[in-house]
Amino acid sequence: MTRKLFLLVLALALASAVAVSAQSAQDEAQYAGLDMDLSGITIKMANIGGGQYEAMYDAISVFEEATGATVEIVALLDGFAIDQKMKVDFATGAADYDVSWDHTSFVAQYTPFLLPLQDYFSEEELAPFSPAILDAATIDGNLYLIPRHADISPIHYRADLYNDEAIAAAYMEATGEELTVPSTLEQIDRQARFFVDNGHAALGYTLAGKEEALTGRFYEMHFASGGSLFDENYEPTFNDEIGVAVAELLAGWYADGIIPSDTTSLLWDGVAQYFCNNDVAIKLEWYGWYAYFQDADSCAVAGNFGLARGFTGLSVGGDAVRPSGWAGAHAFSVPATAPNPQAGVQLIKFLSSERVAYEEAQLGFLPTRGDVWDRVIADASGADNPLDRERLELARIQVGEDFKTPPLIAEWIPFSNIFYPHLQAIILGDVSAQEGLDAAAAETREMMADAGY
Amino acid sequence: MATTTESKSREEAPARVIQFSRIDAGAFPFLLIFPAVLVILLVIAFPLLYSLYVSFTPYELLRPNSLNFTWGRALRNYQKLLNDAIFWRSLGNTVIFLAVSVNLSYLISLALSQLMARVTMGQSLLRTLLMAPMMFAPILVGMQFRWFFNANVGLVNNVLLALGLIQEQGQIAWLVDVPLGMITIIIASIWMNIPVLTIILLAGTLSLPRETFEAAEVDGASGWQKFRFITFPLLAPFSYIALTIMSLDIARAFDIVRIMTDGGPARRTEMLWTYITRLAIEDTKFGLGSAMSWITVLLSVLFTLYFFRQLVKARIVQ
Repeated sequence: MTRKLFLLVLALALASAVAVSAQSAQDEAQYAGLDMDLSGITIKMANIGGGQYEAMYDAISVFEEATGATVEIVALLDGFAIDQKMKVDFATGAADYDVSWDHTSFVAQYTPFLLPLQDYFSEEELAPFSPAILDAATIDGNLYLIPRHADISPIHYRADLYNDEAIAAAYMEATGEELTVPSTLEQIDRQARFFVDNGHAALGYTLAGKEEALTGRFYEMHFASGGSLFDENYEPTFNDEIGVAVAELLAGWYADGIIPSDTTSLLWDGVAQYFCNNDVAIKLEWYGWYAYFQDADSCAVAGNFGLARGFTGLSVGGDAVRPSGWAGAHAFSVPATAPNPQAGVQLIKFLSSERVAYEEAQLGFLPTRGDVWDRVIADASGADNPLDRERLELARIQVGEDFKTPPLIAEWIPFSNIFYPHLQAIILGDVSAQEGLDAAAAETREMMADAGY
Repeated sequence: MATTTESKSREEAPARVIQFSRIDAGAFPFLLIFPAVLVILLVIAFPLLYSLYVSFTPYELLRPNSLNFTWGRALRNYQKLLNDAIFWRSLGNTVIFLAVSVNLSYLISLALSQLMARVTMGQSLLRTLLMAPMMFAPILVGMQFRWFFNANVGLVNNVLLALGLIQEQGQIAWLVDVPLGMITIIIASIWMNIPVLTIILLAGTLSLPRETFEAAEVDGASGWQKFRFITFPLLAPFSYIALTIMSLDIARAFDIVRIMTDGGPARRTEMLWTYITRLAIEDTKFGLGSAMSWITVLLSVLFTLYFFRQLVKARIVQ
């Protein structure tokens, strides 16, 4: 009897151990793409490198061990350099790699040289990815990339300015409205001017002021105000009433010292530096800078800022105003000339799997998969700083609901190179908003006609 | 066995000599330089001619089929550029930059070379120090001066702020305002040009005949008169060589412009090089970019021819 009881207890203990182990395996993020024997195959990959981008590639040894494939990384370059390499390789037919870097803002120009991926991924495999990003990656019904991680911009504001009762009272007296974290461009305009005029902040706002960064920020303000850069026939429409209002807002900010005097020289790092120094009241900024801003050794603003969803645009757009959300996602593609496309797809499945994506998200990148969002938000619940969790929850909403890429045309960068110098001229006061935008529209029309639109 | 082979070789040797002797003596030098000419043709002439061909096509990198020559549109890129206001603005900026940068570099180097020629102690140390800017890649020079002139954290504004010459709110946007953007680029370019020019002019100054100066001193010539009527004219060949080198080499300033302002803002400092890069590399319009490159090459050739003619004239006068 005792022996029977002992065996029963032992069996129960074993069964529960197996169940716990199965449950914990289920709880653990899973790899994918390991279900094919790729022995003897060498998969070549050209991808983005530098800084934290490369940490993900450490996991490739797991893929090699499980599939028998050898992965050869033929290029790890920064965003600009990898784009140049791919263009040259595509043009010369030298893209002999199976996996390449891609980005939602660049994919449109690569599509003639990429393999459509919808036949290689089942619905079940694509289900965890953000539908908004997959939509942005689908051109003419073909899916050209699998997202890796994303970025989008929330409003960053200096918390001390909004927690000070004296400032709030003064703002109420000056404007007749409560000082709350802004949610519209008009509120940002009023508050930024108030903070600068009353000496509460050296600068009211900042934004990157050149290249695609400036074009993108204008595009964002324009569509948040209900506008669109082009109509359905790709006729420029950015010189409409909304475009003029946005350009005039920027020119006014520059003339009145609300934004820095060197705005037109600034790219992301320069803009971030101003906020880091605690000089700026409000700005729209990528989530990717969060760790930098929270580093008290580097930034005076550490611990003194909050985040809010992107602004809605100017009321000139009427009912069409919507939240800002210019966004992008780094991704993986397979070149059409890949020697081993199926093996390349397997590597992409692995690199975009829940486990690898989760490991990368732990470094601070915003995930593109729902299951990884659940994990990182749960992880952040125990963080000392509640903003860590709020940030992720907010980012998930923005990536899910506000994610908006630039127009999916191959001419996006040539368009940007035409557009941003005209916008700079408007900001600097060289030309009026209407004059500058009309000139940009005329040049764009010619460029689009040359491109066959 | 070895002996047999050696004796065989000896027997064959006269036959080879006979073969060489059959080559026409006049053609022999051409045969010798043929490998070098072949390499030059492959490495230099072919890409040049190919880019000339591309300049007559609408070629865009990501549209491989556009590399297609048709007589109907052969001159379209050139016509487009001639009607392009940005091209003319870039050309104007480039000429201003080239003229001011080369001339100011020359004047400063001339003064420095005259001062250094008089130094009797520590000349080697001075020369070494003078060469320091040559050790920096242009891209680093650009980064260094961009930091100097940064409106927010730059050295120049901070010095002016510390001296009380500007206020915190009124920091100067060196890289933005007109004409400060162009001036800052020219300053960086001059800093990079001075060593080469000074060394050439110093070498020229030290090689001038002492007798002429001694005769002028006997006649009571002042220091300025000796410089104006002896040193400056005798240095002319060196000056023209230095200016020719500098004019051809000035395209090295591309890195500086690219890093400091990238032709902006609002095309205020746009030059041919930055515009070509934007069109050909960023926008992938190789046809248009090649056409503009060829216009730039022709301009460089004209500049060089001018300086060579002046050099020849100066030598004839001497």
